[in-house]
Amino acid sequence: MRRARGSKGVVARRGRWGWALVLPTLVILGLFSVYPMGNAFYLSFFQKHLLSNAPPKFVGFGNYLYLFRSPAFWNSLRATGIFAGGAFAMLVGLSLLLAVFISSRKRFQRFLQLAFFSPAVVSTVVAAAIWLLIFDPRGIANQLVNALAGTPGVDRKWLVEPGMLQLATMLVYVWKYVGYFTIIFIAGIGTIPRSLYEAARVDGASAWQAFSRITLPLLKPTTLLVSVVAMIQCLRTFSTQYLFTQAGSPRGPIDVITLNVYYTAVRTFQIGRASALSIILFAIMLFLSWLQFRVARSEEVSYL
Amino acid sequence: MIRRRLVRGRSLVATIGVWLVLGVMLVYILGPLLFMVTASLMPAVEVTRIPYRWIPRTFYWQNFWQAIRGNDGRFYFVRNMINSVVVATAITFSTVILSTMAGYGLAKFEFRGRRTVMLLIVATMMIPFQVIMIPLYLIAMRMGMQDSYAGLIVPFLVNAFGVFLMRQHLLTFPNEILDAARIDGASELQILRRIVFPSSWPAIATLAILTFRSQWDNLIWPLLIAQSRHMQTIPQYITLFTEEKYTDEGAMMAAAVLASLPIVILFFGLSRYFVGGARLFSAHKG
Repeated sequence: MRRARGSKGVVARRGRWGWALVLPTLVILGLFSVYPMGNAFYLSFFQKHLLSNAPPKFVGFGNYLYLFRSPAFWNSLRATGIFAGGAFAMLVGLSLLLAVFISSRKRFQRFLQLAFFSPAVVSTVVAAAIWLLIFDPRGIANQLVNALAGTPGVDRKWLVEPGMLQLATMLVYVWKYVGYFTIIFIAGIGTIPRSLYEAARVDGASAWQAFSRITLPLLKPTTLLVSVVAMIQCLRTFSTQYLFTQAGSPRGPIDVITLNVYYTAVRTFQIGRASALSIILFAIMLFLSWLQFRVARSEEVSYL
Repeated sequence: MIRRRLVRGRSLVATIGVWLVLGVMLVYILGPLLFMVTASLMPAVEVTRIPYRWIPRTFYWQNFWQAIRGNDGRFYFVRNMINSVVVATAITFSTVILSTMAGYGLAKFEFRGRRTVMLLIVATMMIPFQVIMIPLYLIAMRMGMQDSYAGLIVPFLVNAFGVFLMRQHLLTFPNEILDAARIDGASELQILRRIVFPSSWPAIATLAILTFRSQWDNLIWPLLIAQSRHMQTIPQYITLFTEEKYTDEGAMMAAAVLASLPIVILFFGLSRYFVGGARLFSAHKG
């Protein structure tokens, strides 16, 4: 009995230590993550000018209604959809392909991993700066395409023509992040028992069958993780588009939501509108993550 | 016999196919990096020469001087580089320390509300920075943190991902060692400093690198909070330098090379932990 009470005292004391260890983090996250999140939601119902000291004016759903009626918003949504959709498909497809190919090699595995990962090291701004020059009218992109297509001297207008500009931003983004997801996939493939492949080979399965019947199904947790992370990452893109527009590209085709939020807040000072825009972005991210988890789960059920 | 030869023939074709794809991808991935390095050593006319010469004829070091000096001769590069190093280092240290503390508290201490705290932290992981940046900017302004190190550092002192990472790591830490230390009369702080920190080195290294890298890359927050050129960071310097009329292509790439140097050195020194960072992602979910 006495022992029990004694240990309870120890537990209480240790509980206080637990709180003490967690508290600084809680305060910081509360102040700089949770509160701003609530505040963004709150501000999205108000009209507020960045530079004026006037208190925010309640406008209800005014900001949202304004956005839904403005062509710029729909353009942003389209730009984000095109960029995120394209970059996402390329990222997931290519990184899976690369991971399978690299895992199938006996030699150079480490070199290949590091090589494909290396662009993730340079910062996004540097990446955008490099590719700006590559996409220059006199740059390597035109030279390469013209050499392959046998059309010397044609300018593909990478940084001007809307479709090409969108493709250009995707290429930069995929270039930077494909190695990162490749490594996650390789780690996932590494957890699949090799004996399964040996058994399949004995049974006369082709490489494609081994991939589609063993690798792909067993890799599903990794694929889900990669697609959720990649999707959110693509929706958050900012630096590439920012640097391209600063360098003189037209904003319209690559005016992704984050860029629009920035310009709305910093150039037109409409804080409420910018907040509403970012809340919409958040809702899109939540919805897509939820959808991916759901799709993954429903597929799991159908397999059983 | 024929069958075996057929299989071998097919696997040869497959090998060639695989290397073809890997080769094309290697060109796509490494080509631009090679371009950055070679172009940084060329005068502008050489950079835009058709066809591009992948091996520079002469080393045009003036590019680097122009990148550092800036077009206005005010050497903002140096100042902005120092800012970047200071900010990223400070954030890395505080993130590692606070995440380890919180992760340790969540993994090894029973207390009321622990589950709620954990849930809250995981939920915070879902909040994208782009969504909260405007209110955060208003808060920072109200606190008078614009154009200061505080403004650049304080919002990132710790992040939910770090706490989550350290907690997952410390869950596997043997309780016996902690209890033994307590019996020996070590205080909780001593245990944290002498046992938990040193034995968590691989997880800490990974977290440190991820944090440093993401801060080195941070453009959007400094754009908002640091308007004066004295307080700007390297990503902003590159952006501004790229826009300027007198910047030529060679100098642009020289600035890019210089801005990448610190992180490239880190990468080659600690590539194990870099790659480990990506792996950890799948490890604790899988």
